[in-house]
Amino acid sequence: MSLTPTTLALVTLLLPLASAVLIALFMRRAGMLAQIVSVAACVVYAAAALILAFGGHRAAAVNASLDWLSIGGFTLSLGIKFDDLAALMLAIVAVVGLCVHVFSIGYMRDDKARARYFGGLSIFMFSMTGIVLADNLFMMFIFWELVGFSSWLLINHYREKQSAADASKKAFIVNRIGDFGFLLGIIACYHVFGTTSLTAIATQVDAGAFVVACIPLALFCGAVGKSAQVPLQVWLPDAMEGPTPVSALIHAATMVAAGIYMLCRIEPLFAAAPAVALNVVMWIGVITALYAALCAITQSDIKKVLAYSTLSQLGYMVAAFGLGRIVEGKFLIVAGVGAAMFHLTTHAFFKALLFLGSGSVITGCHHEQDIFKMGGLRKKMPLTFVTFSIGVLAIIGMPFLSGFFSKDAILYLAMVKNMPAFVLLTLTAVLTAFYMVRMWKITFLGESRSEESSHAHESGASMLLPLIVLAVLSAGCVYMRPLIMPFLEVFLNVPAAHGADHIIILALSIAVMLIGATAALFLYKPVATDSLREKIPGVFTILTHLRETPDRVYNYYTGKIQQRFALFLNVLDRFFIGGLVVRGLAGLTGFLGLGARALHVGSMHAYVYWFLLGAVLVWAFASGFLH
Amino acid sequence: MNPFPVDLLLLSLATPLAAALIIAFGVPRKLAMVVAGIGFSVPALVAIYLVGAFAGAPRYHDTGYAFFTSYDMGLASWGIKLTLGLNGISLGLFALAGIVGLAAGFYALQSGAERLKYYLLLLLVMQGGLMGVFASIDIFFFYFFHEFALIATFIMVGVWGGRDRNYAAMMMTIYLTLGAMLSLAGLIAIHIKSGAGTFDLIALRETVAAQPLSALVQKNTFGILMFGFGVLVSLFPLHSWAPLGYGAAPSSAAMLHAGVLKKFGLYGLIQIALPLIPAGAAHWSHILAILALGNVIVIGFVTIAQSDLKQMIGYSSVMHMGYAFLGIAAMSTLGAGGVVLLMIGHGLSVALLFLLATSIHHRTQTFDMTEMGGLAKHAPVLAALFVAATFASIGLPGFANFWGELAIFVALWGFSKWMTIAAVLGIIISAVYGLRAAARVFFGPRTAAFAKVAAERPPVDLRWSERAPALVLLLALFLIGLWPKLVTDPLNAQLTAQPVTAAANANVTTTAPAQAATAAATAQTNSTPAATPPVK
Repeated sequence: MSLTPTTLALVTLLLPLASAVLIALFMRRAGMLAQIVSVAACVVYAAAALILAFGGHRAAAVNASLDWLSIGGFTLSLGIKFDDLAALMLAIVAVVGLCVHVFSIGYMRDDKARARYFGGLSIFMFSMTGIVLADNLFMMFIFWELVGFSSWLLINHYREKQSAADASKKAFIVNRIGDFGFLLGIIACYHVFGTTSLTAIATQVDAGAFVVACIPLALFCGAVGKSAQVPLQVWLPDAMEGPTPVSALIHAATMVAAGIYMLCRIEPLFAAAPAVALNVVMWIGVITALYAALCAITQSDIKKVLAYSTLSQLGYMVAAFGLGRIVEGKFLIVAGVGAAMFHLTTHAFFKALLFLGSGSVITGCHHEQDIFKMGGLRKKMPLTFVTFSIGVLAIIGMPFLSGFFSKDAILYLAMVKNMPAFVLLTLTAVLTAFYMVRMWKITFLGESRSEESSHAHESGASMLLPLIVLAVLSAGCVYMRPLIMPFLEVFLNVPAAHGADHIIILALSIAVMLIGATAALFLYKPVATDSLREKIPGVFTILTHLRETPDRVYNYYTGKIQQRFALFLNVLDRFFIGGLVVRGLAGLTGFLGLGARALHVGSMHAYVYWFLLGAVLVWAFASGFLH
Repeated sequence: MNPFPVDLLLLSLATPLAAALIIAFGVPRKLAMVVAGIGFSVPALVAIYLVGAFAGAPRYHDTGYAFFTSYDMGLASWGIKLTLGLNGISLGLFALAGIVGLAAGFYALQSGAERLKYYLLLLLVMQGGLMGVFASIDIFFFYFFHEFALIATFIMVGVWGGRDRNYAAMMMTIYLTLGAMLSLAGLIAIHIKSGAGTFDLIALRETVAAQPLSALVQKNTFGILMFGFGVLVSLFPLHSWAPLGYGAAPSSAAMLHAGVLKKFGLYGLIQIALPLIPAGAAHWSHILAILALGNVIVIGFVTIAQSDLKQMIGYSSVMHMGYAFLGIAAMSTLGAGGVVLLMIGHGLSVALLFLLATSIHHRTQTFDMTEMGGLAKHAPVLAALFVAATFASIGLPGFANFWGELAIFVALWGFSKWMTIAAVLGIIISAVYGLRAAARVFFGPRTAAFAKVAAERPPVDLRWSERAPALVLLLALFLIGLWPKLVTDPLNAQLTAQPVTAAANANVTTTAPAQAATAAATAQTNSTPAATPPVK
């Protein structure tokens, strides 16, 4: 079989599946072997994906379609839609996926359940690739559910911990709430357009088909769940119970970004729908960005700071998407998609870098995650420190690092389209610089503040190599033309400020970064207590409450409302419905005199004998014996 | 075409019954087990062979039935003959009966139940009855085989049941006997009113096609059948027997009843009621759909409240039957196809869950989930299988159930948007109880109660004798999940050749203008997506 682009695409889809199946069937107890199989599969996967993405093969060359289910007039097919958008996403998944696989070799070295872990990674790669390649919404939904399952499996990795068991359950259930809307949206699409093919829908919409706002909004529910937007953001911070490389891959770089990717896939629907649909999306994004940034300020767990930061950045992307199209020069550009995907790309690199860096820190400190018990890691873990610092600079928008450009694109778009959103997003950027520098300073500067961190050591090569690769990409991916050119369809849509606007945005974003970072540098000292709590306790308390309230509401709902409602219905069902009907029936049979006594005294034998006697009589009668 | 010297369908139902008869004559325990093993294996092997041979097998005239045979059992003067055959609808269910029977049978063989011989005997009777239900073209025998299996179930619950077995068996008997009586009345009404003078489904179809039953007769008959079959399939609010009965039933009986026998009513509605009395179905479809939503929403929440593992599975099974009824109420080819897919998926997954629940009980000595926790550490394979079965039952893609649920949701949208929205809520509810159960039993730290049990009797992982039947079920779930065409190719051919709803739509538009919109929506569902112009 020659390596046609279609073959390559099928390799990317099926190889991780094959790896997962092999591990599940034969290597449950062979952790080392499972690791080799999974990492090898990922290497081949990454090679195929990158050849595909950078080889210039697009829709015409890559196509495979297969009818999977057909009943009546309904047909669900599996197919590939490989445009620049899909190619870009596939490249991101491949690079981050490979880095995480390699990093896991070191991170999971002493884990007893390595086979399950690597099997989980493989099944995740398979599911994620399915979302990326899907050419219709039903297929996307299928893989959407499967990434949810992989996420459940990997969050639940340390399954003897109650917190891990609860977190995985919560993640899946909250995601299902989003999927409820997503599935309804897909079904509605099918009935309105007669198809769920992304290309066919776009064609119909371009031809002037009217779209009611609730269809794209229902589909957006899926993104609210998967990308953890307000009000379904509660699952993501808890998901940090999973191993750190998993947080990097699934809960920062790829799966949570799938919501944004899905939105970009169905952008024509939003464009055709009334403006209210995009406005809702934008405001959800803005609120999430600001809210999560506020939550991050009072966190002391290194992974949870990063989790809230991920939420905030995802909010940024969703807001960018919601800002929609603009006219730039003479051309109408799909600026929302351009800006969101641009930020998705840079974020994937620097957030994966930060998470893996935190993983390096956590193993270095013997599984301590509280930043107030760290300190002084700059000297003990120099390479981790340098790469982590690059990640921090990228996320806070240090000029000329990649994050700076993508954040600017979003701020510029907001400035053009919606002033209130612009103000709030700028404020979020200040907060981002603030909480990231806070975490960075407390973790790496000063002196060791605990037994664990005083014995910290630099991580091994398998963990450092991915950090270096990701650091290079975080710093400079925007400068590498060969990395950008293949995805022009996407990047041409990135809004860019010109003239006076350009200077305003540039000055503003530098100011924003400086204000946030300087405030944090002055406020926080690398000591064992939170300086904000001591200096401005009122603000600290308010922020803490703000962070904890959604979880309280969630717990109140599940514990007090849902459970009590369920128990109430249970009582009704058992004593009212059960009792009523059975008494009614017993009365009825008694009334009719149909062997009611036999039924009441509990003698089933009687019933059986009567049945047999009846059967024999009927038979005898019909056969003519009784005539 | 049949390369075997015997009628395979007859063989599949006669072997378990013959095995039961041999055991009844009193053979030694060891020999009885061998005989029973043969009795459970032959139907499964026949079913698998017939699934493979179906596509190439000649059809009986234009009826869609393959492997057609007919025997005079001495009741011909009443229009009753033992007529056997399989069409696209019954093929998958026949295979389901064979596979679940195999798993339940082999699980029973290793169960070490008291009076094992009689236990196996009754299970074989059940198995024979089940094969007969789905192989029968004659609707009298269809009913008769069901009764056969049902009575065996009652006795098994009453004798080998767990807690509250007497009450449970009695409750089951009262409900199910009443349901069966109503169903029989409905079937006899069709037989008499059609004037065909026979119970043969093919002849009935032809008669009714030429001369449909009057609207009034259709309305009344479908009402009787709907409630009769409804009780048997645990339609809300007639479901109270199910969780109680399954909670008490011995595992193999619960597997066969919840997995297969319960599908009798749904199968009857699709194979008999929809084609023969479509106008009646259209008349009742709204009421049916509302009651079915009671299954999904009300019983869904009740399932969340359960702390007894077996009762939880029982209630979850009642909840999923709501989807099946909704698929029937949708009155479309896609809906009916979805129901068949869901029946197969649900049958396999619920049987697997009951099997594993018993295996869990052996290790924890309780069904109370609040006294478990952390079992995954002791029994990782058991945990993996239970998690797979749970995800299958809550409709994860990759398992058979997903296709059924999806097809039903899509079809239901054409019937009523609001009902679809309510029904899809079920995917959240089922995730809540499914994952909660898995977490309570297997994950987190051990509870004090379980730690005590584990200290006395250290739990071991699933033995191969328990693992093999579970893997058979899981494999089937995966197979259909990954390749649904295995079921839908013959199913689709049958449903397209003889649409379950064509007549209904015609009737609906002429008799009830208010429901014309429904018919139009259904028609839209049935049209080829690519060919449909954008609506609005």
